[in-house]
Amino acid sequence: MKKIPKRIWTAAALCLLAAAVCVYLGITFSSMWKDQPIYPGPGVTAVEMLSDYNPGLKGTHGDTEVYVLDSGKPGAAVLVLGGTHPNEPSGVVAAVALIENCQPKTGVLYVIPRANHSAFTCTDPQEGAPMFFTIETPGGDRTFRFGSRATNPIDQWPDSDVYVHRTSGQTLSGSETRNLNRAYPGSNSGTFTERITYGITELVKQRDVKITVDLHEASPEYTTVNAIVAHQDAIELASWASMDMQMEGMNISIEASPTNLHGLSHRELGDFTDTLATLMETANPSQGRLRGRTNADLVVKGVDKYYVRARKAGSVTVEFTEAGIPLDERVARHICGIEQLCNAYNELGNQETIELGGLPSYQEILTNGIGRYLSPGK
Amino acid sequence: MLFLKYVYLAIVALLLVLILTNMFKKDKFLYQLDAALVIIPLILRLLLIK
Repeated sequence: MKKIPKRIWTAAALCLLAAAVCVYLGITFSSMWKDQPIYPGPGVTAVEMLSDYNPGLKGTHGDTEVYVLDSGKPGAAVLVLGGTHPNEPSGVVAAVALIENCQPKTGVLYVIPRANHSAFTCTDPQEGAPMFFTIETPGGDRTFRFGSRATNPIDQWPDSDVYVHRTSGQTLSGSETRNLNRAYPGSNSGTFTERITYGITELVKQRDVKITVDLHEASPEYTTVNAIVAHQDAIELASWASMDMQMEGMNISIEASPTNLHGLSHRELGDFTDTLATLMETANPSQGRLRGRTNADLVVKGVDKYYVRARKAGSVTVEFTEAGIPLDERVARHICGIEQLCNAYNELGNQETIELGGLPSYQEILTNGIGRYLSPGK
Repeated sequence: MLFLKYVYLAIVALLLVLILTNMFKKDKFLYQLDAALVIIPLILRLLLIK
């Protein structure tokens, strides 16, 4: 009988080892596809899917829940987008807090907590980002996914070298091809990411959404933080809201949506629909370039000694002390901002009003923590 | 774009087969170990897991 060479045995053993590693990693990565639960509060009257507005999304990782909080009384419709960029966690946490607490008194509130559902299933390469973070609630810890800025390459690949925005012809880096907030107004025959934004644009049109608020975060060194970015039609609304936010103790500025920067929600939803398109930014050290150790603690507590040094050196314009910028504060800003945008809409004399109820104030969230207003995890 | 995705996956599959073939031909253990490390991301990519 011919003797099998040693190299065949070692190669076969290594193949088995590689297969075992693949099974382990496969299970680990697949666990990221499981959605973290959201517990609809008393204000939620229906849960729709984005594929109801773009049927092409049905059965794909781009389909995502649309929570409807209908007061049952006539009024304006408002849309809140969380999780456009799942590496900006205050957006999704604020959206979840709305779903679990808000009870509108007039009008309808639509909340999409995981706008780019696909991007929740992976993290950005070479960032060392955590896969999950937890928030303490009275009933136990609640886990959230920390995701990627862009659509999972599993769903859309390869990227072109240059991304050409569909309606304007604007060119951007190819890496922006999978960025949801460069793909508005979208297309039902476009890329995976464009089909998601098409669904959101259709929702805005079909439900006659009067105000859209897209929740974001940015690096503390970025100039547009602690700001409301508003389409020119929404500048007055944002200005009123910012005054009320300042009265509640927040530093907040207004940025006009650049007319020559395309694909963003505050530009294209404002141009292609009748909604008053706004976007809110807070300062998130876990996505900044100057950060130190990147882990779930940094995401939740927002404490980073390098940002403190950068602030002292004048390299960061946002206030950054040893206390950091915790997730509680960033979520409080978003929730307060949404409420004040709605109040401003009412104060501006619009016939249809939207009154949000059941939401904690900015100070209450700072005092008690956002976990106090989230359903306990199971 | 969808067409390009399948072209990309075909290239991944081809690369995987070539590396596996080479792995069984090489006598040096370190070469084989190298190959084993390289095939892990290729398999995950081919199965659309990562």
